[in-house]
Amino acid sequence: MSLAAGLLALPAVIYFVVFNYLPMAGLVVAFKAFDVSQGIFDSPWNGLENFRYFLDSGDAARILFNTVFLNALFLATTLAAGVTLAIMLNEIRSTLFKRVSQSVVFFPYFVSPVVISIMLQVFLAGASGGGGAVNDMLNVFSLPTLDWYTEPGPWPWILTVVKVWQLGGYMSVIFLAAITGIPEEVYEAGMIDGASRAQMAWRITLPLLRPTAGVLTVLGVGRIFYGDFGTIYAIVGDNGTLFDTTDVIDTYVFRALRQLGDFGTTAAVGLFQSVVGFIFVVIAVMIQRKYAKETSVL
Amino acid sequence: MSRRKLEPFTIISIVGVGFAVLACAIPFWLIISGSFTSEVDLAVTGYSVFPSAFDLTAYKMIFTGPAVLDAYIASVFITVVGTALSLAVTSGVSWVIARRLPYISRPLTVFAYLPMLFTGGLVPLYLLVTQYLHLQNSYFAVILPLLVAPFLVFIQVSAFRQLPASIFESAKVDGAGELRIFFQIALPLSKPILAVVGLFYAVHYWNEWFTALLFIDDVHKFPLPLVLQNLISNISFTQMLPQLAEQATPVYQLRLALTAVTIGPILLAYPFAQRYFVKGITLGATKG
Repeated sequence: MSLAAGLLALPAVIYFVVFNYLPMAGLVVAFKAFDVSQGIFDSPWNGLENFRYFLDSGDAARILFNTVFLNALFLATTLAAGVTLAIMLNEIRSTLFKRVSQSVVFFPYFVSPVVISIMLQVFLAGASGGGGAVNDMLNVFSLPTLDWYTEPGPWPWILTVVKVWQLGGYMSVIFLAAITGIPEEVYEAGMIDGASRAQMAWRITLPLLRPTAGVLTVLGVGRIFYGDFGTIYAIVGDNGTLFDTTDVIDTYVFRALRQLGDFGTTAAVGLFQSVVGFIFVVIAVMIQRKYAKETSVL
Repeated sequence: MSRRKLEPFTIISIVGVGFAVLACAIPFWLIISGSFTSEVDLAVTGYSVFPSAFDLTAYKMIFTGPAVLDAYIASVFITVVGTALSLAVTSGVSWVIARRLPYISRPLTVFAYLPMLFTGGLVPLYLLVTQYLHLQNSYFAVILPLLVAPFLVFIQVSAFRQLPASIFESAKVDGAGELRIFFQIALPLSKPILAVVGLFYAVHYWNEWFTALLFIDDVHKFPLPLVLQNLISNISFTQMLPQLAEQATPVYQLRLALTAVTIGPILLAYPFAQRYFVKGITLGATKG
């Protein structure tokens, strides 16, 4: 009986062993002077040399800061956008309008980062590098325009707008589901007490969304050391002038691997990311447990 | 509720939602409209809200030349084969976890979710695929690293657990084996959740370009997103694309048209698939 069951799980087990657990063992590369001809396990050890190289390179502080800063920014803004959007959608009584709007704002979630990158170019540079919708707008109001793709300063905010655009609708679907779970009586009580719709949103809906927001925050904090490679690399690519504010661990590792072929250092950075990331996940899960207990007591 | 008068907050909400809808839709409009705008017009502003003259040059290039067709075939192959494999493997392992079998289900749960917490990272994966499995330039290098998404296992496990256990008990009493219960009872009863999980995988594979970027060097095997990415970062890449003899390549229009072609299938399938996606993330969120 269980043998047959084991058979059903076997392909997945093989997958996890080959693509998840073997690479974990492969992390020993971080402590080796890797040589392709010798393979992972026969290459000579070189202790912490790879880590030292990374820390001495002067890139470490910058990419660590960017990773944590950008992720924190993305997390806070997408959550806020999701909650706001969900509460606003919840106000709409016309089922058709609500359903259509929800579909439209959810759609960007399904769009490839590469496509988003091209859209952003239309706005910031024009598809041909000639203008761009944003600069045209600025011109209308006689404001100074900017050559966006050569100016690192605004990029954390540009990427934030992109992330909100991409994930705001997705978050709103989650929050809207949570709102649907709030019992109708709570609102009826509010109505009898003469609360306006705004008061009910502010004093009933918002506080009751806290557990959901809590879980999502914890998940986000757990992933704070993992940059969103896809979106950032698709948009910034190898545009070095923007690295000051946009280069994160994942993009750095990717470039080091593909352009420099530096396996040792790259693996060291990856190992560092995995370990610190794991610590963050564990802390996050512990907080979530505690938090979940508190809310279930309430 | 319907007799309620329109409060200011409701009006603000309607306006706010309307604004959000526009903000989400306009970029798509600019892409599609731009893809029908001639290269000359595009060069002036870089985009167009309405094409002044309907121009099909880029689409003609796309649909007459082999390069984009190759990319389409690559993307379709990766999506179809990948989704089928993923769905099969995910269903199997989810079922075993959902059954709560002694000595099997619990360790398997830990085994499947641990990779969400700790990963080997890029370098070991890269070495594994290129040095040991030798999958470079194979579509399976794109598919296999993404084969099982723990999050979707999680969704499918909770869906399997919602099926009434009594059916499986009575089937067991009637002498059905574990495999038979799975294939003839559990799976047919789980069509909606299979649709949810399958659609998530399908979108994922269709949009996937990171593994393609890592493992596929052969231009003729590029899936669509990778072709697009190369069009962004590398103008000379355009020379790989088919040429119309009588004129220069409309690089920018082509970019936009190819973007439209990439979003196209998702855009067309979305109205029908949307409720499954909502169901999927709602299930994941409320069970989490």
